[in-house]
Amino acid sequence: MAEFALAPRSTLGGYAETFGSVTLAEVTGLALVSAAVPNGGDDAFAAALAEGLGAARPATGDSVAGDRYGARLLGMQPDQIFILFEEPDPNRAAETVADALGPDAYVTDQSDSWAMLRIAGAGVRAALERICMLDLDDAAFPEGRVARTVMEHLAVIVLRDGADSFLLMSPRSSARSFLHAVAVSVENTAG
Amino acid sequence: MSGPFRLDGGALDRSRILSFRFDGRKMIGHLGDTLASALLANGVRLVGRSFKYHRPRGVFTAGSEEPNALVELRSGAHREPNTRATVAELFDGLEAFSQNYRGSLRHDLLAANDLIAPFLSAGFYYKTFMWPKSFWEKVYEPAIRASAGLGRLSGDADPDSYDKGFLHCDLLVIGAGPAGLAAALAAGRSGARVVLADEDFVMGGRLNAETHEVNGRSGADWAADAVRELASMDRVRLLLRTTVIGAYDHGVYGALERRTDHLAESGGKPRQILWRIYSRRAILAAGATERPIAFGGNDRPGVMLAGAVRAYANRFAVGAGRRIGLFVNNDDGWRTAADLADTGVDVAAVIDIRDRAPLADVPGARILMGGKVAATWGRRGLKGIELATGERIALDGLAVSGGWNPNVHLTCHHGGKPVWREDIAAFVPGGNLPAGMTVAGAANGNFTTAVALDDGHGAAVAAVGELGYSADAGDSPRASDEATEVSAFWHVRESRGRAWLDQQNDVTVKDVVQAHREGFRSVEHLKRYTTLGMATDQGKTANVGALAIMAEQTGRTIAETGTTVFRPPYTPVPIAAFAGRSRGGEFRPTRLTPSHDWAAERGAVFVEAGMWLRAQWFPRTGETHWRQSVDREVLQTRGSVGICDVTTLGKIDIQGRDAAEFLNKVYANGFAKLAVGKVRYGLMLREDGICYDDGTTARLGETHFVMTTTTANAVLVFRNMEFARQCLWPGLDVHLISATEQWAQFAVAGPNSRALLRKIVDPEFDLSNEAFPFMACGMVNVCGGTPGRLFRISFSGELAYEIALPARYGEALMAALMAAGEEFDAVAYGTEALGVMRVEKGHAAGPELIGQTTARMLGMQRMVSKKKDCIGNILSERPGMNREDGLELMGFRPLDRSQDLPSGAHFLATGAEPATENDEGWMTSVAWSPELGHAIGLGFIRNGHARIGETVRAWDGVRGRDVPVEIVSAHFLDPEGERLRG
Amino acid sequence: MLIDHPLLGPRDAQEFVILGDASLIDRPDWQAGDAAQRFHDYQHLRDNPAGEHRELWFHEQGDRSWLVVTRNTLTHEVVKVELARDVAIARGRDR
Repeated sequence: MAEFALAPRSTLGGYAETFGSVTLAEVTGLALVSAAVPNGGDDAFAAALAEGLGAARPATGDSVAGDRYGARLLGMQPDQIFILFEEPDPNRAAETVADALGPDAYVTDQSDSWAMLRIAGAGVRAALERICMLDLDDAAFPEGRVARTVMEHLAVIVLRDGADSFLLMSPRSSARSFLHAVAVSVENTAG
Repeated sequence: MSGPFRLDGGALDRSRILSFRFDGRKMIGHLGDTLASALLANGVRLVGRSFKYHRPRGVFTAGSEEPNALVELRSGAHREPNTRATVAELFDGLEAFSQNYRGSLRHDLLAANDLIAPFLSAGFYYKTFMWPKSFWEKVYEPAIRASAGLGRLSGDADPDSYDKGFLHCDLLVIGAGPAGLAAALAAGRSGARVVLADEDFVMGGRLNAETHEVNGRSGADWAADAVRELASMDRVRLLLRTTVIGAYDHGVYGALERRTDHLAESGGKPRQILWRIYSRRAILAAGATERPIAFGGNDRPGVMLAGAVRAYANRFAVGAGRRIGLFVNNDDGWRTAADLADTGVDVAAVIDIRDRAPLADVPGARILMGGKVAATWGRRGLKGIELATGERIALDGLAVSGGWNPNVHLTCHHGGKPVWREDIAAFVPGGNLPAGMTVAGAANGNFTTAVALDDGHGAAVAAVGELGYSADAGDSPRASDEATEVSAFWHVRESRGRAWLDQQNDVTVKDVVQAHREGFRSVEHLKRYTTLGMATDQGKTANVGALAIMAEQTGRTIAETGTTVFRPPYTPVPIAAFAGRSRGGEFRPTRLTPSHDWAAERGAVFVEAGMWLRAQWFPRTGETHWRQSVDREVLQTRGSVGICDVTTLGKIDIQGRDAAEFLNKVYANGFAKLAVGKVRYGLMLREDGICYDDGTTARLGETHFVMTTTTANAVLVFRNMEFARQCLWPGLDVHLISATEQWAQFAVAGPNSRALLRKIVDPEFDLSNEAFPFMACGMVNVCGGTPGRLFRISFSGELAYEIALPARYGEALMAALMAAGEEFDAVAYGTEALGVMRVEKGHAAGPELIGQTTARMLGMQRMVSKKKDCIGNILSERPGMNREDGLELMGFRPLDRSQDLPSGAHFLATGAEPATENDEGWMTSVAWSPELGHAIGLGFIRNGHARIGETVRAWDGVRGRDVPVEIVSAHFLDPEGERLRG
Repeated sequence: MLIDHPLLGPRDAQEFVILGDASLIDRPDWQAGDAAQRFHDYQHLRDNPAGEHRELWFHEQGDRSWLVVTRNTLTHEVVKVELARDVAIARGRDR
């Protein structure tokens, strides 16, 4: 038995707050693993996704749901996707994906790299309008659409995961600044 | 009644009585008033003093083009100078102050400037303050500064907040007058996404100021219904109180929305929002601005633009005087006479410069066709006018119209040049419009309501049609055409007294003539020399008149004379709005290390390193000077063990079949043969052969590496490696992803580091020197099964490790390391101790890698492989970068060991003059070494290795230092590296 | 300013970083007899036309693609946008 125990800590301490019609809450407990496609290995990669995750390969900018692990696959780059999934043992996140995909993908754990915030409610687009330069209109950014962009100098991955709901991921080290930026946007547009 | 000049009618909510103060005097107005209309209603005509001559001035316009009625709004920290009273909405409790006088507004001591006006003409500053030269700083500048400027800043931080935002639309409509509303309706009804922006607080534009009819009803009522319909459309966004300030590339427009300027309190919300509007098409329906005619004394309070007088009467229910005259060169001005007569204001005379039949019969008014106004009288307000014929007419208001200028500004933001249209005597948009923009209505020179409605409607049908929406081409609103004939006329030659062109900058006709006489022929030169068209109004009412005078002088046409360049913003924007939220602590984001809270709880002192906050040192009770803390951290680390959060170093996960070959190309030294489980130091060159970054790369598997970069270059190295991967060697199978944020990484350094780690790392891992030697790496489990990575690398020169765990465990790991280290008296150390130890070891860092540093300067020329292709190796061979007598990184110590060393000092031979030709190099980094007990430095010096033991001077002219130093090896401690291998 | 990304559609230029002349793709052969001269020209000699120019832009705050953007330096009109990787391969950089 180890003499010193290590307790994990969520980036934003489980933050959750409601402002008028908008709720803003840290999302914890999800694993995030990147998978890069070996050069020339597109077919094998697609087969591995189908086999290991029950999912098709998303185009860059799109996401698809998988049958296993409650996974959602996000098309991040021409040769790279992110896999967002439920992993009971976070210490095994990369292994789970590596086991599922075999040698046909290069996987890297990103679970701790990104703080995750869900912003949801009727006023969500009015709030995001203050910091997000992307067009989040229904036609331009329908449910399932994903994009990496910049807000208030910070990298942000935006996933529309509902009619009035967005999952925002931003680097862990600057997560408090990011939360502040989003919260101010909600406050400035609430009521 | 809210003031003696208040009329019946108008668009005011008279049930809402608003109390306000001007220069301390309490008055009342109504909801719907501007400060200007409320002042006029209360009979206040003198509202400010002019910039240069301190002439009494009053309200001149009813819009954002106002040159004169500039006031300070609000008080205390909220005070905002140079605010146009004509666009300031009245609210209950508003406080406003006139500006630019000494003494009182009525008795301005600086009004004496007006008496010496003959000496203050164009170019006065340039001519007068030239000599003696020594007078400039001590006499002239302070005197000029004391009397220059208009309003006063509060001197306090702006207490309001500001925001930015982003909007997307198919069609942006700029201006909500008849053309803009017709355009927005047509586009909105087609289903297109529309943004409609207008600077006013009521949409409708001139329809609210006129008595025109649209679709058989009052124009204002039609506008209100149109706005209601637009507001009900999901895909239409109405931006009231919003000025589109500039046209940028690819359909992007900037707009300033004033959210709470019309409220007594902001309610904690941002005062203004600076929008970036992405549009696929835009219709400029910005209307037109009326221009005056120059004549003697035309700046007297009571002289106003005719359209403004009409707006005050029709919309604001204010008579601009009790007995008003008209002086016009066009048909439109006659409408003022008619509307005034209808509202019961006495019209004294209509003076039209044109020799033609009168346009209408105005009850009670004299009609003087072919007449001209040559002078005015009245000390602080107009009392009468004198005609060119010498006849005098007593009146207290004169409405002037010299025609209308289309608001072409935004059409010129991409280099478009307006063109002169003789028939309307005005500039209209030329070619070269911003892509996607069309112009409609008065902004395009189509001045009648009927044509404006048609034009706006048609422009929208065409614009959204291009985007695949079909708008009903047949439902354009209807109105009748008004008479708009105009005869170009700019100034009255028979003027007595000064005839003003630019009232904001006190520029007269004579100044323009004089500038021409002195050789200023280009309009841009004219502007700079006379200051015409500068400051808050940018000459909106002045420029064209001045161009006409200039054209007369040069014998060219106005078309040939051209305009000055129009640049954003269209109207003034507070700097605070540009800053938005980026103020104070929010200037930029802050990045925190995993152990930040742990360090903060222990009183660490933090330093900004880029966006990162890093612990600089950890003061302990009793330590009163930072050196005490840093010395302790260094000695404790070197004596036992120290722990430092090094998470900020960039980490890049590199995978692929060709990853090793790829590393061979981006690093100067070889990586192809690095064994799995080993780490290697790597040096990165730019293609020009200069060293720009270094770090270590560990091979975790056959196809898997993890690279570290310096904190500062993490982003740049990643970008460059993506460039190499995608653009230079796209055939290599290699994939990159940043892992900087994923791993919390700590340096554990010092002779007891292994003993400490044995308590943390799970026992199945053998940490012995044989099993895990210097430059080894491996996956380990920590504290009972938490998977992590361990690297045996050393920046301090001690036996040292770096241990990495997923970031969520970072804070816990820091605490565990410190707890495990208690028996060794382990110390947490910050960046300052880190820096001291790296200087002691002679490691190059930021101060050495300055964009001119070659591998040879660092003594690493042999690391640059000649057996492989790598970025920078060919150009690193250039002879100038490999001179035998080139700069070399060396150590330096003071001859007098009690002296400290100046960083940045230049090296000079003993006795040499401090001159560039004697410069031998410079000191890059200095530290006080607690182990050696004296100051040490690193620096570049010519031919350094051959000069070990030589004495030179470290000369620092800035700080007045001149320290004799000895050249030594840069490796002050343990030059053979026995400690780190132990 | 907007760049019409071939995979993602129009995106604000604020998401991008510009490097410069797309000729930087054509890195010379290090083993050529006149490699030093070629690298000198590659590194230091660039065209700076008033008109259409092929430039390298990096979608740093996006999908991390390097792009070749053909842009008119006089009007800022973006004429064409390609994935730099495709351009590089088409120009024979397959290794």
